[in-house]
Amino acid sequence: MPRDPGINDASAVLPDGARFTVQESPAPEETLPASPQTACHPAPWSKSEVLDRLGEDEDLLREMCGIFLSESASLLQKLRQAVTQNDAQAIMRAAHSLKGEVSYLSAPAAIEAARRLEDIGHEQDISRAPEALALLEREMECLWRSIREFTGVEP
Amino acid sequence: MTIAEQSGILHAGLPRPTGEIESVLIAGDDPLARHLLATCLKKWNYRVIAVENGLDAWTALQQEHSPQIAILDWMMPAIDGPELCRRLRSHSRGRYFYLLLVTSKTNRKDVVEVLDAGADDYLIKPFDVDELRARIRVGERILRLEQALVHARDALQFEAAHDSLTGVWNHGAILELLQGETERNRRTAGSLGVMMADLDHFKNVNDTYGHVVGDVVLRECAHRMVAECRGYDWIGRYGGEEFLIVVPGCNSADLLVIAERLRCGVARQPIETRGGLIPMTVSIGVVSGQFFQDSNPGYLAMLSAADQALYQAKAEGRNQVAARSLA
Repeated sequence: MPRDPGINDASAVLPDGARFTVQESPAPEETLPASPQTACHPAPWSKSEVLDRLGEDEDLLREMCGIFLSESASLLQKLRQAVTQNDAQAIMRAAHSLKGEVSYLSAPAAIEAARRLEDIGHEQDISRAPEALALLEREMECLWRSIREFTGVEP
Repeated sequence: MTIAEQSGILHAGLPRPTGEIESVLIAGDDPLARHLLATCLKKWNYRVIAVENGLDAWTALQQEHSPQIAILDWMMPAIDGPELCRRLRSHSRGRYFYLLLVTSKTNRKDVVEVLDAGADDYLIKPFDVDELRARIRVGERILRLEQALVHARDALQFEAAHDSLTGVWNHGAILELLQGETERNRRTAGSLGVMMADLDHFKNVNDTYGHVVGDVVLRECAHRMVAECRGYDWIGRYGGEEFLIVVPGCNSADLLVIAERLRCGVARQPIETRGGLIPMTVSIGVVSGQFFQDSNPGYLAMLSAADQALYQAKAEGRNQVAARSLA
């Protein structure tokens, strides 16, 4: 599957992703111009791959997208809370669930970002969590935007 | 199923109520997967029951007509997928569930864990709907095979315990039932009635009309006696034209009433056969046993007392009930 190598490289997107962090750490990057539009991969998910798995049922795909938008938002919220509370177990669980959700939409960059947070939770390596969360949030924004374009639902 | 578990007298050899192959339980806290599964399964004409955690799945699968195919998420609140598989396998009371586990874990160790826990198969997230359908079909095939085997076993069990001519319990089964009732009454200090019924002059029917007509008469007499028994009495063919009836929870006065009802049921009207109308009567010997914690009659003592009462009924002119009390 096509994948922009830059998106999977944490350091490449970190300055941009940092604007989503909820941590009170100093963020000099805030002074940089935020331009999420330009950093998004043109196709953060593969509609054709998902449709192939769904037996080309486009109605079902639209229903799935609707559920995905609300469910993934609430999972991401849980994840934010878990990171804020330094709860490794909760990070692992929420990241695992979110990884499952994005996998249904064949979104490789978001899957990878969720997997990274799941590993962090599993290894209890909390110090890396805010950075990984920021990356995941960025990927989710890109994915949501693209899915809303497909479903025609306003943000 | 032991003989004592089968209730009723003319228990037909029909299968017990089992689960449903055409319905599927889906369990998991992921709404996306639930929607995907439910939509596809309904499209393929399955009835769908969806629950959000392992405990609700466990409860749903304990119901009488629960689905026999279950698609379980590995990670679920309350009871996770592998643990639910283990519980279902150790408590399923003879009913087989086809368990399909959905997992995003793909390494070999996880697959082994899922299958060892008791899952029949697994699906890896995100799954393909064609693959889902094919795996459900495998489950259906296995369950239909299992159902056919269970039905065959039940039918054989029924045949093994019943008299093929009259449909009542056979010699071995009715004796086992009598023994069981004797034991039960010993524990509960209850009362038990035993009747030995013998068709009068049955040999003449065979000699005069032939064995084909004799069989018709025998079957009709058995059915008439069954019709006069209570739902919880047991009737079996003890030998040739002799029937043993076990009458639980019955004092000696009631026992005589029931025996008299049986006698009248047989004698009321002649039996229609292709050899013409054949009037039949029955002689019945009855014995009633009161059980106490410390002194109680054995089932053999009851049998021989009923036998002696039967001889008395025969000797005093047939077509009558005679009673004996236990020494």
